[in-house]
Amino acid sequence: MLQKDVIHNKDHTETVHETENENFLKEFIERSITRRLIPKGLSWFGCMGGLSLLAFIIQLGTGIFLMFYFVPSTREALASIQYVSHRVSYGWLIQRIHAIGPHIMIGMVLSHMIRILFKGIYHHPRELHWVSGACLLILTLLMYYTGSLLPAHNDKYSTVHLTFLYAIHIAGIPLAMVLCMGMHFFMIRKTGIYEPL
Amino acid sequence: MKDYAKHKRPEMLEPFFPNEIFRHIIVSCFFIVIELIAIIVFPLHTNLVIKKPDHIPWFLLPVYKLNKLIHHETLFISLLIFFALLFISWPFLVSRKRHTALPINKEQDTRIHHVRYTKRHGNLWQSPIPFTIVIVVIISVVMLCFINL
Ligand code: HEM
Ligand code: HEM
Repeated sequence: MLQKDVIHNKDHTETVHETENENFLKEFIERSITRRLIPKGLSWFGCMGGLSLLAFIIQLGTGIFLMFYFVPSTREALASIQYVSHRVSYGWLIQRIHAIGPHIMIGMVLSHMIRILFKGIYHHPRELHWVSGACLLILTLLMYYTGSLLPAHNDKYSTVHLTFLYAIHIAGIPLAMVLCMGMHFFMIRKTGIYEPL
Repeated sequence: MKDYAKHKRPEMLEPFFPNEIFRHIIVSCFFIVIELIAIIVFPLHTNLVIKKPDHIPWFLLPVYKLNKLIHHETLFISLLIFFALLFISWPFLVSRKRHTALPINKEQDTRIHHVRYTKRHGNLWQSPIPFTIVIVVIISVVMLCFINL
């Protein structure tokens, strides 16, 4: 009897919790997706920020794959990249995406910035959007620089040097970028996007 | 999250779903196609030894040329840091709060004043000094790429 009661009680609270959760989820989805309204007539140039994000995510995905094979030592770096692009199935595709992607990503980030610059969207209250974005651009360029030195078969760089570059390429700078992006997106959500008058 | 529906007539708004979501998907697919085409079209010399300056990418060319021009490591790096700081603090450097006339009632009027001012001087080409600076910087960066050293 007691046992049953307890079970009954537990069930009851659980269902209450579930319906509450469902309601919360439903309301959240309705508020932020299905019933959300946005201003009409946004420019196609406004996509550039989103495309920079997409390009970054592609770099992240392909970069993690490359990490499985890359050996950060002066002797083996080049060989390991060649191994990925010739022996691993579809490795060439991933490697080429990771090597060509930065050019496209930087093009996207620059056109994003130029739109913001010429439209004057950095004015109050959006100064901090610019600050976090500018840090993102600098970090992206640093990412390119550190990345392009990784396959370099160069006597100028020692293995210690290469390991350092590798560490900041796969962990240090991406972490900083993710932090800056969090700041960027948080503030965009706060102020909303810039709307045409 | 900002509510865009405030102070707006219904015909100035559109639903986020599905209109905006579909636009995102289309643009993302377009981007991926461009990237795949770029992979096929552009030859890759990345597996080879990186030889400067043949493999300097287009966006680092001005920096590389500046380095050649200056010939002084410390000065070059300080200059880069200086430019980076200027770039980051650009909105504060061209802030027009200074130019607004002092309102009589400080508490409230500043904001109204400021909003009006922002609306009139939104675009870069409506404020002559920042516009000139930007154009001069763009021209000098492009010129830097074409300098023969
Ligand atoms: C990895 C680099 C970057 C990513 C992923 C990124 C992403 C985004 C996204 C998704 C938006 C939303 C609206 C839009 O697309 O226009 C945005 C807005 C914005 N971004 Fe970026 N961004 C980056 C770099 C930059 C840079 C370099 C700047 C300027 C120096 C910048 C300044 C801004 C500003 C001011 C806005 C607000 C625009 C508005 O309110 O409509 N961002 N960014
Ligand atoms: C903004 C993002 C990124 C940019 C611009 C970038 C850029 C580059 C570049 C230009 C290379 C040289 C590729 C080559 O010439 O073959 C490279 C290599 C590499 N990257 Fe990245 N990368 C980014 C993100 C990442 C991330 C997030 C990771 C890891 C989680 C990563 C891991 C690697 C590895 C392991 C290599 C060496 C393998 C190779 O060179 O093919 N990258 N990166």
